[in-house]
Amino acid sequence: MKMNKEAPGRVHFTLMDAIRLGRGYIRRRLDRSLINIASIALGLSFYTTMVISDLLYSTSARLGGGQVAVESYQYWLVAVALVVSIVGITNAMLIAVYERYREIGTMKCLGALDRHIVLLFLVESFYQGLVGGLVGFSLGLASAIVITGFGAGFDIVLYAPRVSLLTIFVGSVSLAMALSMVATLYPAWRASKLNPVEALRYEL
Amino acid sequence: MSYDNVIELRDLQRYYKLGAETVKALDGVDLEIRRGEYVSIVGPSGSGKTTLFNQVGGLDKPTKGSVFIDGVDISQLDAYELAWLRCRKIGYIFQSFNLIQVLTALENVSLPTVFAGTPHDEGLKKAEKLLDQVGLGERLHHRPTELSAGQQQRVAIARALANDPAIILADEPTGNLDLNTGMEIIDLLHGLNKMRGLTLVAATHDLKMIKASDRIVWMRDGVIERIERG
Ligand SMILES: Nc1ncnc2c1ncn2[C@@H]1O[C@H](COP(=O)(O)OP(=O)(O)OP(=O)(O)O)[C@@H](O)[C@H]1O
Ligand SMILES: [Mg+2]
Repeated sequence: MKMNKEAPGRVHFTLMDAIRLGRGYIRRRLDRSLINIASIALGLSFYTTMVISDLLYSTSARLGGGQVAVESYQYWLVAVALVVSIVGITNAMLIAVYERYREIGTMKCLGALDRHIVLLFLVESFYQGLVGGLVGFSLGLASAIVITGFGAGFDIVLYAPRVSLLTIFVGSVSLAMALSMVATLYPAWRASKLNPVEALRYEL
Repeated sequence: MSYDNVIELRDLQRYYKLGAETVKALDGVDLEIRRGEYVSIVGPSGSGKTTLFNQVGGLDKPTKGSVFIDGVDISQLDAYELAWLRCRKIGYIFQSFNLIQVLTALENVSLPTVFAGTPHDEGLKKAEKLLDQVGLGERLHHRPTELSAGQQQRVAIARALANDPAIILADEPTGNLDLNTGMEIIDLLHGLNKMRGLTLVAATHDLKMIKASDRIVWMRDGVIERIERG
């Protein structure tokens, strides 16, 4: 058998490349992204409402106001809301994968490896998680202020420890990004395993 | 080191099992294609042209037999090497263009250079030059939906050239185009074959395309029926 003298090189697709391409997808298919962002923002806003309310009530108690606690069953509701938003994103991402069958097949023709496809989807979900997290936190903060306002006063947030609020902010946004990426793992894996021939035959 | 035969097919078979039935899409194809040659693959619908295209392009694995590209048996390549082959050695052109809809013409053409590891600016410059060469220098920032069918196929041709491949594979490149537009695409491809010495393998029903080629491979029921000089 003939031997090849020219050693094949490697294909490339850096995080920067994925970010560039992923941003393009988000920007130009904004409707799809907005569904995911809304889903994560709603789930997260439940969570932040609870956590911030807790903080505001305990702040009020420390200042000598009445003691009110967030009931523990409400945390179950939060957990449910987060799970629902994960399922929603997974579903939306699976649809996105179907819509992009041909494009994924095409990218594989151009040299994409399976993990490049996964990376692209994860970058998109990272951005969606980030925006969803920021929106969700803001909504949660606003509703916590309103809910606790009647019992503890609407200005109680000004007396809450800054460090605690900041911790909740960072925690919530991280949680949103993590959830968004977890929800995307399965659809991204499915997309990456597509056989290029099948993907190219696919008619929408 | 390069070989005179840039493509060699040895007893290539591709069977599909559909329940109890076996479809022999390719049933023992032997073929040698020289560097710089322009070969048309012709045959009735279902004769195995697209299946052959997929095999030569390293997009699908044979049931039996081998595909050699530049003397390398591509069934021996791992996923990384195969991706590299698709990226650097072969340019694909499809009947339905297969451009990425959310990307502009320029971004579509520069995408293969991303996988080749070309720096971003350089890739864009290259893409701009190629789009200019296929006559789309004024349409760099248009998206596929904003281009005519013929223009979209030109973008696809520019994309296929992005990494200076040795081989261009085209599966019915004029199949979705009207007569005149098809003719322009044929001239463009033929020109690339002659000027750049690119090996061009095209499955087609188009008589004009067939006439322009060096050799015509007639297929029927997964085998080569005959080979004609153009
Ligand atoms: N994924 C598949 N599963 C089962 N059979 C298949 C598959 N792909 C192709 N075939 C069969 O293989 C044969 C050859 O198909 P192929 O697509 O290669 O034909 P073709 O020459 O390209 O036809 P056309 O001119 O219509 O494009 C056909 O009988 C087809 O039904
Ligand atoms: Mg076909």
